[in-house]
Amino acid sequence: MVNHPGAIAQELFRSLMAPLVLGGAVRPGHAIGARAALSLGEMEWVCPDADLETRVQAARVRRARRLVPIDALAAATPAEWTLAAALHDLLQAANPGFDGALRRSAAVRILELARETIERVPGPVHARDVLSRHTWFGRLLDIARTDTTVSWWVGSQKFLGVDPPHRLEIWPELRRVNVVTTPRALLELAPLAVERSRLTDAVARLLTRTPLTELATCTRQEPAFTWSETALALVATRAGRTLALRALAALPPGEVDAALGRATRELLATRRAAGSPAVTLLAERALAQAEGHAPRPQGVAARAEEAFARGLGAAAAVLMLERSGAAWTEDERRRLLAVLDPAARSAAAQEATAMLGGAA
Amino acid sequence: MIGAETVLERIALHQTRLHTPGLGLDSKGVALGGKGLVLVPSIDRLVALLAVYTRERSLEDLMSSLAMHVVKSKLGTREITIEFAAESSDRMDRLAETARLVGGFTFTGTARHFVQYRDAAAPFGYDATELLSTDAALALYHERFSQTYDVERAIELRPLILRLMPRVDPQTKLEPGLRILVAEQGLGPALVHYFVRSRVEGEVGVAEWPPDSAFDETPVRRWIFRIPDLPTRMRPLMHDTPGITCFVPAGPGVAVQAGHRHPVELRACPVFDPAGLVLVRGGGEEPWALPRLPPMGALSAFARVDLRTEGPDLSASSAASQPQIVRVPLRMAPSTAPWKKVTATWIEPAQIPLLRRLAYALPHQTIAQARMAMTSRGAFVRSTEGIEAIPLGTFFVEVHPNLYVPAGHEVTPAVAPDVLARALGAPAGQVLFLGTDARAMAVEEAAFAPMETALLEAPPWEPVVAEVIDRTLEEATLDLRVTSIGMLPLRGVEAPPKAET
Repeated sequence: MVNHPGAIAQELFRSLMAPLVLGGAVRPGHAIGARAALSLGEMEWVCPDADLETRVQAARVRRARRLVPIDALAAATPAEWTLAAALHDLLQAANPGFDGALRRSAAVRILELARETIERVPGPVHARDVLSRHTWFGRLLDIARTDTTVSWWVGSQKFLGVDPPHRLEIWPELRRVNVVTTPRALLELAPLAVERSRLTDAVARLLTRTPLTELATCTRQEPAFTWSETALALVATRAGRTLALRALAALPPGEVDAALGRATRELLATRRAAGSPAVTLLAERALAQAEGHAPRPQGVAARAEEAFARGLGAAAAVLMLERSGAAWTEDERRRLLAVLDPAARSAAAQEATAMLGGAA
Repeated sequence: MIGAETVLERIALHQTRLHTPGLGLDSKGVALGGKGLVLVPSIDRLVALLAVYTRERSLEDLMSSLAMHVVKSKLGTREITIEFAAESSDRMDRLAETARLVGGFTFTGTARHFVQYRDAAAPFGYDATELLSTDAALALYHERFSQTYDVERAIELRPLILRLMPRVDPQTKLEPGLRILVAEQGLGPALVHYFVRSRVEGEVGVAEWPPDSAFDETPVRRWIFRIPDLPTRMRPLMHDTPGITCFVPAGPGVAVQAGHRHPVELRACPVFDPAGLVLVRGGGEEPWALPRLPPMGALSAFARVDLRTEGPDLSASSAASQPQIVRVPLRMAPSTAPWKKVTATWIEPAQIPLLRRLAYALPHQTIAQARMAMTSRGAFVRSTEGIEAIPLGTFFVEVHPNLYVPAGHEVTPAVAPDVLARALGAPAGQVLFLGTDARAMAVEEAAFAPMETALLEAPPWEPVVAEVIDRTLEEATLDLRVTSIGMLPLRGVEAPPKAET
């Protein structure tokens, strides 16, 4: 990796940012470092490959249009350049080449600097920024490495994230060649030169800087979804809630209920005063489902967290219907109340109301 | 050559002396040569430039001086230049704005040396202080570079436009107004009668194209219809019927296939002769060009004409009674005679899906020998070697050339096949099928096409487009590739500056 910011930006765009949007091979190279990452957004950079830039912008608009009917997005902002550089270093820290004597400390240092870089990036301040970041990092958790094991009659060899040489695959019948490819998600990579928990924590911090992505992937296994300040700030606004509800509508409703229920229960238990936006989101989601505008979960809730989210959402939705009745006709309100009533009277709803201090 | 230092200087207000040969100042004080030149990096940018410019303006005023070339720099890179008469800074401004939009650079000059045209940084334009000494055809001076180019080849506008594939745009099918239909030879007469029967007004003519290959001796004939107001109910039929291609006029002398839109606004490109016709087809097919429109006649002139073939021209009244002519209607009666020469079958529309399924099971020999005509009454299949291999529909026996009666039936009164054929009076080129109700159906012989061709007709375009859309929207997997960490993986990796407190 060369040190000139323009060259770093060009390499970063080609090897990470463009594939992150268009799909294909992501090739993290030499680590960028925190100082260079923070300076990337300050320079004026023109992509030399106009065609690639056009395709990337078109794909970003396509992704944004799944949520909002817009026709254009601005180029990457300084914060997005910095986050992309941090992600680059985070991926490089997971390089299996560091898993050797005298090398592990370098990976630990790179990851530590990437975490510091992420901490320096402010959260988005406008729904447009939220959407723009989501178009870059929406598929962050889809990054996976393909590990290939080639075995033949007298031995075998493993290739991590690289193609096996052709010579090992010749004469497949005679040499009884067997090739097994295994895709490994980013947080399941092995071997790792850094602690897995540190890598997971870095990814979680990165997700907090792109809150729409954080919400749109709330059903993920690792890092488990929790209500971050930026996510709460997003759903505290009207536009942010609309974006979040549309993003959640694309996920399995039962899984979303379980993830939101678990995170909201934890939020109310530890920071009850900050929980209002999350409760409003659950209420609007329950209303949208009752009106048939969002996919409804089938059957009864199998998990306690799922029942908690549905009960809390229904109870808050009933309260919303009673307080702002003018938005619905009498018939509509009666119909919605009839749909919401069973969930609003459930034991989970009573537990949620009790956690809110009876003020839901 | 990419200049390390800029050789351009901004022209100041009231400056009169310029270094670049052929560069002068217009009435507004803007530096302007005899020509304008736009440099674009690739052919797609050239098309984008044309598309954007023609959306609002015609190319007519540029055409007389427009010249496009592929140019090659000393480094071997190829780019495209568009030259045109500069005339005024208004015209240059318009083109410069369009070029900027598509990533092109605008220059002005007269012969060989072209300087960057004015922009926001230099409202009166630029002048080159040092000229490159070169034999190249073009020397371009820009703030960022100075470059010489040799002309490699010219690009003609009309061939370029005709090579561009129209984009799929189903909206054009709904546009009102004139439609031009092109029907294959076998479909033409049927389409004429369909329009006449439906009282659709229009004109029709027959055009000829050279044969597709040297092995074909006869030219390819197609029927051309101009329908000023095609009824909405007929549009799906015209769009979906194989052998009929529907075109929407896109300018004088040019039309684009319905369901497609040309990337460039053809109305703004005066490269088509209004006396001729160019039909731009979608799906990557080559355009059909007619240097001169064939003579067209009103559709009503092609209405079916019936002449009385017998009897006097006039019927004079007479007191005497005339003997009545003995004529009995034709009937079909079941027959116990063994079936011979069962060589045709009539498959009704309800059974067409069965035929489609059966097509997968039919042996090659049967498919190769059979000929099929698709009509509104169903499919008629003929095979000289016998039709029993296709166990569908009503079987027919050929009792006379091009005259068929249902198998297991005979005509009553029992007249000879010759007499029957004469009585029916079918013109040459028509194949007659007598039904069990003694009604005759006539199918034009030219409508019979080899069954293997008919079976392999292209599917409707919608599913194909859907596949394309799916493919476009499909997101490729994100494959993390491992690269070498190098000898010094921490080289240049620095901590962030201390945060301000």
